[in-house]
Amino acid sequence: MTDPASIAIVGIGETPPARRSDKDVRTLTIDAVLAALDDAGLRPCDVDGIVTDTVVMPTSVPRDYVAGQLGISLRYDAAVSYGGASIVAAPMLAAQAIASGRASTVLVYFGIDWGTRASGPYGFHDIYPAKLEYEKPYGFNAQPIYFGLWARRYMHEYGLTPRQLGSLCVTQREHALLKGGGQIPKPLSLDDYANAPMISEPLRVPDCCLISDGAGAYVMTSLERAKDLARPPVQVIGTGFASVPTTGDAVFTQGSDLMTIPGADRAAAQALGEAGITHRDVDFLETYDCFSISCLLQIEDMGFCPKGEVGAFVEEGHTRIGGTLPVNTHGGLLSYSYRLGIEHVTEAVRQLRGEAGGNQVAAAEVGVVSGLSIPDYGVLALAKH
Amino acid sequence: MSEASVGPVSYQKEFAPFWRELAKHHLSFPYCASCDKFHWYPLKRCPFCLTEAIEWARISGDAQLYSWTIVHHRFDPDSGPDVPYIIALLEFPDAPGIRLVSNLLEVDAAELEVGMALVPSFKPRPGPTEAGTHPGLSFRPAIGR
Repeated sequence: MTDPASIAIVGIGETPPARRSDKDVRTLTIDAVLAALDDAGLRPCDVDGIVTDTVVMPTSVPRDYVAGQLGISLRYDAAVSYGGASIVAAPMLAAQAIASGRASTVLVYFGIDWGTRASGPYGFHDIYPAKLEYEKPYGFNAQPIYFGLWARRYMHEYGLTPRQLGSLCVTQREHALLKGGGQIPKPLSLDDYANAPMISEPLRVPDCCLISDGAGAYVMTSLERAKDLARPPVQVIGTGFASVPTTGDAVFTQGSDLMTIPGADRAAAQALGEAGITHRDVDFLETYDCFSISCLLQIEDMGFCPKGEVGAFVEEGHTRIGGTLPVNTHGGLLSYSYRLGIEHVTEAVRQLRGEAGGNQVAAAEVGVVSGLSIPDYGVLALAKH
Repeated sequence: MSEASVGPVSYQKEFAPFWRELAKHHLSFPYCASCDKFHWYPLKRCPFCLTEAIEWARISGDAQLYSWTIVHHRFDPDSGPDVPYIIALLEFPDAPGIRLVSNLLEVDAAELEVGMALVPSFKPRPGPTEAGTHPGLSFRPAIGR
């Protein structure tokens, strides 16, 4: 573990989960970045590299704004994918930059104001012309509808039950309540789930992620340097990124069987292989639960459970804190907040530092974080150092 | 309704033949003769051999239900039918490799099942789209036809 190429996450920061914030997205992002630097015991001028996503941040909180506001002189600047996969795959680039000496301290941030923005996440897909022309006029115009279609097909193929979908939602709400501070402080029972309003069959309100205003950030440096900093370093032991050749227009309807999250298998194999670990070594998983169904599929596609069996896996309690593979220990995008997964990274770091609180996974030493922005997939393996 | 008013304004030049054919009550999809393969959505080149020589081939319209969802929440006041409505994802035995998003009409939700046979209806319906009209295409069960 003294590989000179090793890097660590040394600081994390996030704003409180909120549906609507009275702060705008730039304020939230700067707050989160400063919190992450403060956590690491670093100053903005210590940062010399930034990695963002390629689509969302460049148009809302571009890295020149962050650098200019905070006084960061960059000598490394990169971007990968967009949204969820980006947030998780960013350490892949940071590790290369730090190992090659092109940067010493790399900042990753992500902020979102889809809680207050009128079209929220739905308007985002207007960047795809074929969706606008061939889908939207029929009312195929929002992510819950796409994944409703996916869930129905998976149910047909593998016999997934509504109760199993509900089990995932109930488990994650339990995690959010154990952690505290999440966007929905209310308990959720299986009965509550079964009576919740339908959004796009078979998906009900609790099957769909929250919508939030907020930001998060994390800071990386070499493991060697990390040892002298304020907080216990959390080592990046493996990174993975994979995409499949399909356009953003086609990805929700064409090509695949609609029961597989593109790239998840290859990205996970890459990250776990690089880390030299097997699925059994993973103490917890923070994965992109934009919907109950997409969360279930990723657990399978990354190899944590055989295809077709994840419904029973969740219903049997394996994904609960205390189970064989606790999943989304903070309640995830379904019950904590929806900042496209930056909160998954900060949560994994808290777990591996042993400072998660009421939702701490006992003896957590290795955690995996994964994120999607279909057709891209990112996987990050982290370890307590 | 005149032929010209069927379908929205095309965002890409290669998208337009679908609506021109639909106005004549035909379903057509991009097809590469040398590969003998369809693709969807329309691309500039055949995704299998990269030729620009893409034809549009008419198909019968006989469809099978790959999956569906009944939408109960209105996400966008400016697009889509009134809720609840049925979104169907269709496959076509004579155009393998293509799935089409459409609406299902004249069907009881309890009858819906994966694989059920459907046929197109070219009757224009009022409803908001980018161009102010609903595309003149929906599907209904083939049974009893």
